[in-house]
Amino acid sequence: MEVIIVLVIIAVVGYFIYQSLPNTKFEKAQNLFNAQNYNDAIDILNAIFEKHVDAPAKLAECKLKLGQQSSGKSEKIKYFNEVTALRKKISNSASVTKFESIEAIALFEIAKIQYEEAKGDIDKLNQNIKFIDTANKKGSETDFASLKKNHFYYLADSHFKKATEKEKSDKLSEAIQQYNTAKDYAEKSDNKAIQYNSVARITICQLKRNDKINLNNVSEIGNSDKNFQRELYYRYAIQLLKNKEFSEAEKIITSHLNFQSSEIDKLNEILRAEKNNNAVKRVEEINTSIEKLYRNSLSTEELKALYESLDTTANEVKVFDEQLSERISAIKPTLFNRLLTHYISAEQYGNAITIIHKFPKFWESPELLKNLGICCYGYTAKGLLTERNYQIVISGWLTSVFSDKVILKSLDDTTWDDNYTFSLAEAIGSNYSQHDEIPDNVNYDEISETNISIGATQKELLQQFEAIIHKEIQDSNLSKLVNDFYDKEKEAIEKIIEVIETDIFFATPYFAKSNGINNEIIEELDNDYHNYSNENALEAGVPYIKNSNSSVVYQYFLANDLIDRVITAINNENLVALKSLNTKDNKQWIEKFDNISSSVEDKIFNAIANKISEDDENEKLISLMEECFSFSSQNEKLKHQYSNYVANYCISKVNDEEIDNFKALSLMKRAYLRSPNNPRIVKNFITLIRFNLLDILNDRSRNMNDIYSILDWVKNNMSQTYKQNSSELSKARREILKQIKQAGVDISLFDDNSITSILSGTSLNSQGIKMKKVLTYLKELGNEQESENPLDRLRKLRQQLNLGNDDLPF
Amino acid sequence: MKNPYRILEITQDADKAEIMKAQILAMKRKEFSLQEIAVAAKQLLDPAKRLAADFMFPAKIKVRRIQPIQNTLNYQEINLNSLNENAFDSLK
Repeated sequence: MEVIIVLVIIAVVGYFIYQSLPNTKFEKAQNLFNAQNYNDAIDILNAIFEKHVDAPAKLAECKLKLGQQSSGKSEKIKYFNEVTALRKKISNSASVTKFESIEAIALFEIAKIQYEEAKGDIDKLNQNIKFIDTANKKGSETDFASLKKNHFYYLADSHFKKATEKEKSDKLSEAIQQYNTAKDYAEKSDNKAIQYNSVARITICQLKRNDKINLNNVSEIGNSDKNFQRELYYRYAIQLLKNKEFSEAEKIITSHLNFQSSEIDKLNEILRAEKNNNAVKRVEEINTSIEKLYRNSLSTEELKALYESLDTTANEVKVFDEQLSERISAIKPTLFNRLLTHYISAEQYGNAITIIHKFPKFWESPELLKNLGICCYGYTAKGLLTERNYQIVISGWLTSVFSDKVILKSLDDTTWDDNYTFSLAEAIGSNYSQHDEIPDNVNYDEISETNISIGATQKELLQQFEAIIHKEIQDSNLSKLVNDFYDKEKEAIEKIIEVIETDIFFATPYFAKSNGINNEIIEELDNDYHNYSNENALEAGVPYIKNSNSSVVYQYFLANDLIDRVITAINNENLVALKSLNTKDNKQWIEKFDNISSSVEDKIFNAIANKISEDDENEKLISLMEECFSFSSQNEKLKHQYSNYVANYCISKVNDEEIDNFKALSLMKRAYLRSPNNPRIVKNFITLIRFNLLDILNDRSRNMNDIYSILDWVKNNMSQTYKQNSSELSKARREILKQIKQAGVDISLFDDNSITSILSGTSLNSQGIKMKKVLTYLKELGNEQESENPLDRLRKLRQQLNLGNDDLPF
Repeated sequence: MKNPYRILEITQDADKAEIMKAQILAMKRKEFSLQEIAVAAKQLLDPAKRLAADFMFPAKIKVRRIQPIQNTLNYQEINLNSLNENAFDSLK
């Protein structure tokens, strides 16, 4: 009994000891926490606060939960403050570490409550930011950062309001300062509205202060409040007008103040008045310049500036007085002539060429075109041609000299020629008696001592120019460029003059294209083609193509270009490109023009011949050549070239054992297909048939089925030349049979027509069957069956069956 | 090629006799070589080549003498003071 009592006592004591252990208590507190019984948990945790390392943090968490569950702000803050106050009581550093994350949440909760109370109050918001900045944020960094950003958002708002108050009170510098602060906070908090509006208001304040502004931040202003924008641009326009920056003011008014308002009307009236005054001033300046011009005190630079400004002035004046504008434009030709005369006499040919080119339709004036020719000659003679200007100079010269009207103009200014007449019969600027109007002393009669050839004069001029460009250009690259270009331009203008019968203006391609008169020439050439089916007219038009996509000349150019691309693909051995060009449409383009379709075979033939001369064992060429056949309807030459190339290739490669007999047979089949009556192709093809059958017979080929497939095709495609040359195969067959017979084998077993063969055919072994098949192909492809008439065959059969001549076999 | 008229110092209207005479005078002046003088004379005595030489004289373009332009526009007064800078005040 005593023992039992002692044991019970020990058990009770042990239980109480166990219950009083910190771990047990913490576990109990945790259970209470989980059951949201925070107050009881707090009691236990207070008891083991210093005895269990996790107790302080859990205690803090309980208080945090109570705070979060509370409804009143003061109660919430009370709990959160209790959490933070716990830190002072914690002595164990390990406990501090665990406590800190709970403390951070409590601090965040406090900051959040304070933030709600501080909205709209700059000081309180700033205080709370300081609170956030100094708070422990462990584990809650993102929440704190987000909360801080919210503060900036409201600070931006508050500072903007403050700034507007300052602005309203005309404290503009302070307002700008506040707007800048608002803008900074807005940028930090993505408060775009305040950011853009601040920029707009700052600019408005600056305008109110009459500061000089620049609109570098136009995009931000463009996103600001519409009313702010309106005020800003209106004030800015006034500022620009006050500063006499009228064109800038006009831009602002046009782009930003284009709405109905009497105030805006006033701005536009001021602009108009300014333009009027400017026009008055410009006319006065022009009159002063005219006076100086006739006093010979106007410098060339002033004359040039005056001449170049006339169009602008005339345009500006036109709004106010159209007639005045016309009067201004009317003095332009005189000033132009003055300037041009000065440039020519001062040998400033470059300047002269430039202003002539700027003169509208200068080529319609024989005088201007002649002067252009003189300037181009002078410019070249002075050695001023460069890679940048040679085209404009040479095309100008040629167009000038090739114009009969220009040469006729030269007759106007002299009297020495009064006793002569001049003939256009050999003129280079026309092919027929095509000029509508010619002077009295000009005719189309035969050349004589007194009837001078205008053509000879033109040729003399060309020779003089050619002497310069041939001999006097030191830079060899430039010399080549210039001379090649000269030759091409000259050839092109000669061609169009030869074709075109009407009296139109002839120009070289470069001249025509740069001055927009190429389409007129192309139209004439198209007409010539329509009237006479003259493809030379189209050929002549090709250099003049620029944008005339609907012309026949252009179609001709495309067809030619197509051939060029085919040749390029051949040169580059680009089978893919060649295949892509091989379309039905493209072939139609080629067929449309005789010149092109008749020359395409030769062009391709020559391109391939060049490739063959570079490498005569290039297998790639075979496919390229096959692709080329369809570009030309006449392709016998190409087929011949192809077949011979394939034959040469196969012979060489088979002899050198670089390709096997089957590959050679496959290639030669393609050649035979294109040239079935070319004896050389046929003979080589037959030899390859023999080689391949012998390969089968001797087990040297792995392509037996493919070989038979080709041979079956041959059976149905024997050309006359093939038939005449196929005895090689019959001979081979006889030779084989002879050898078999010498070996003591009954050769009738291998004869399809023999009765022995018919009766015992199944008794041949596989080798025998193979031999029989080879012999049969040799026979059929050797065209032997026709050499034996049916009576011979019957006689043979009778002999084999030991039948008399009168007996029937069956 | 040098201008043959310039070498012989004659006008564009010179006749054959004047060219021959000018040739002798040019030789006396010795400004140009004998070959240059001979080529210039030959060129001017051949009508087709002379026409080529004439080509190099700029064509005279007939233009009228210009008169001062009658100005029909008058200066207008610009009064910026009539503008109300606060017309579009957006803080009102």
